[in-house]
Amino acid sequence: MTTEPDEPAPESGVPWQRLDTRVVWVDTAKTVLSMVPAGVAIAFFGAELSWGTMGPILVATAVGVLGGLADLLRWVKTRYRITDEHVERRTGLLVRQHRSIRRDRIRSVDTSAKFRHRLTGLRVVTVGAGQHSATGESALTLDAVRVEIAERLRQELLYGGPVERTDAAEAEPAPAPRDEQVYARLQRSWVFYNVFSVWAFFMAAGLLWGTYWALRMFGLDLRGFVEGLADWDAVGTGWTVAIAVATVGVIGVVGLAINFFAENWRFVLVRVPGDRGTVLRTSQGLFKTREVNRDDNRLRGVSIDEPLLWRWMGMADTSVIATGLTMMSMTPSAQILPRGPIDVARRVAAQVLGTDRSPLDRPLRQHPLRALRRRVGWALIVTASVTGLLAWLTTLIDAMHDRVWLAGLGLLPITLALAAVAYRSLGHTVADGYLVTRSGAWSRTTSALQSRAVVGVTFRQSLLQRRLRLATVEVTTAAGYGAYQAVDVESAEAVDLADRAVPGLLTEFMAAASAPARDDAAAEPARVQAQP
Amino acid sequence: MPEPIDLRPPEHRVERRAIGLWVLQSVIGFGVLAGLLLAAYLIVDGARSWLGPILVVVAVWGAVVTLVMPLWRYAVHRWEVTDDAVYAATGWIVREWRVAPISRIQTVDTTRGPLEQALKLATLEVTTASSRGPIKVPGLDATVAAEVAARLATITQRTPGDAT
Repeated sequence: MTTEPDEPAPESGVPWQRLDTRVVWVDTAKTVLSMVPAGVAIAFFGAELSWGTMGPILVATAVGVLGGLADLLRWVKTRYRITDEHVERRTGLLVRQHRSIRRDRIRSVDTSAKFRHRLTGLRVVTVGAGQHSATGESALTLDAVRVEIAERLRQELLYGGPVERTDAAEAEPAPAPRDEQVYARLQRSWVFYNVFSVWAFFMAAGLLWGTYWALRMFGLDLRGFVEGLADWDAVGTGWTVAIAVATVGVIGVVGLAINFFAENWRFVLVRVPGDRGTVLRTSQGLFKTREVNRDDNRLRGVSIDEPLLWRWMGMADTSVIATGLTMMSMTPSAQILPRGPIDVARRVAAQVLGTDRSPLDRPLRQHPLRALRRRVGWALIVTASVTGLLAWLTTLIDAMHDRVWLAGLGLLPITLALAAVAYRSLGHTVADGYLVTRSGAWSRTTSALQSRAVVGVTFRQSLLQRRLRLATVEVTTAAGYGAYQAVDVESAEAVDLADRAVPGLLTEFMAAASAPARDDAAAEPARVQAQP
Repeated sequence: MPEPIDLRPPEHRVERRAIGLWVLQSVIGFGVLAGLLLAAYLIVDGARSWLGPILVVVAVWGAVVTLVMPLWRYAVHRWEVTDDAVYAATGWIVREWRVAPISRIQTVDTTRGPLEQALKLATLEVTTASSRGPIKVPGLDATVAAEVAARLATITQRTPGDAT
């Protein structure tokens, strides 16, 4: 609904434009450069042209050359133009593709640059129109145009008006005063929040594998070198494994640290005034820079994630809830801070929402203890199923040990602990026009969503929930995940909670018997409070 | 039956023919599944020891669902359209009450699958800007559904809203 991929845009006099010609030079350079390593290996190190030694590098060369040529073709076949109503792009060799996005549907205009773009003064412009990645819609990207054009496109598409009008306005000092509010800058200490994870081992494995093959190409044997470092037989298996894990871990941590700084170098989160209200802007990156602008008119709330295993060190991910920024997309444009300490996350959340007292700092209402019973039930069911499955498998497969099912019972403490953690996570409140919900076991998510962003209310109750007098209240919205839930609230309070979160919507459907009694007692003062 | 939450039930029931629809859907769904499992059971000798229990479970569960679900759903499913909101109650083991304000409605559709066409039924689908899917009211009479969709379309046009 937000984008019409094949809508025939009305023909207008605006001429079609090519992407920048520098893309051609970049592609040519890329094609030539990708042939260099293989050439060097053959010319100077006398490497044999056999699949065994040269396989990976040949594949890499082929991929590089073909990629460069394909990108050249793409440049030849791509045209774009910006009319008064649409942004249009034609591309594709075999399948002609015509995409147009209505300009009033544009929700974000981001620029990014890989290292090769920065060398040549180019930027990739991504025009987002609130597409849902689930339905296979994608943003419109222009890869690539010059820095000046990218900047002008952003001004024009985000703040409205054709270029001429913007230029005329610049004679007067209208958009000129740039009083930026800086909310956060990169702090070196944040690196500690980003290096200790399982990914360290994956990263190290990838690095070592790549190094091993690269060195082999030039006749160096990494494995032999490591084997020659010490007499591993004398060290013993246990120590060897310990040293290997430690080494790989250290390599991974260092790799992640470098990666963190490369990605977040000169990170800054600012609020910048624009023609149509303010914009929340993050920019970051050492080699590959990324700048994301989020229109404040589309801001609907803030969400903070706290992973369970790192809660003791106060680790948090902060993201905005905004229409047109899907949480599921590969580029996390909703995320406004690198992973960092929770107190920074809370301070920034309050500043972003612009409230005196952040809704995320409000004390949350606990959910009834019966909700814990439901979670313990799940824990028992999971444990029983795993145990039962293992027991059944041992009867089917002779090779399995008879006592394997005991391992299933070993899960019980873990699942019970998770049940308790999940119960303690539950909480909700309505304050200052925000519905605040919190839940999650592995990762505790606290979300504050504006009441005015709610486009519907759903109550859900299973048979078991009914017996436990619990219900789940879900508000649907166009922003973020599309729905935010208060799981397992007291069923008698479910409607009241939704009514405070979305004043007025449910009034005509309230049960006649209970509505008057509650209206004057509990609900009324809260409802006044809920309206800003 | 008192409602488990403090909302009154929506005004209208769905058509009685919807019971037939749900019976047919359940019979066909479980029939295909059980048929595939049975075929595998008969063809693959080595898998019988573990396919047998699964087949029994599917057959029993299918029978229970076919007997219980349609009547249960008929007791639960209700819907209502006012000048301000669409309100629907659905489900059986897990019940759902959904309310969407008219001002936030983006599209109103009626869909009719082959079974629904045979029974002259239709499903009303009301879509808001949320990615969590439309409010669905299955088991409406086809003409009623068309009328409601047309009425909603006019109300939606009258009501200003940003639809996001």
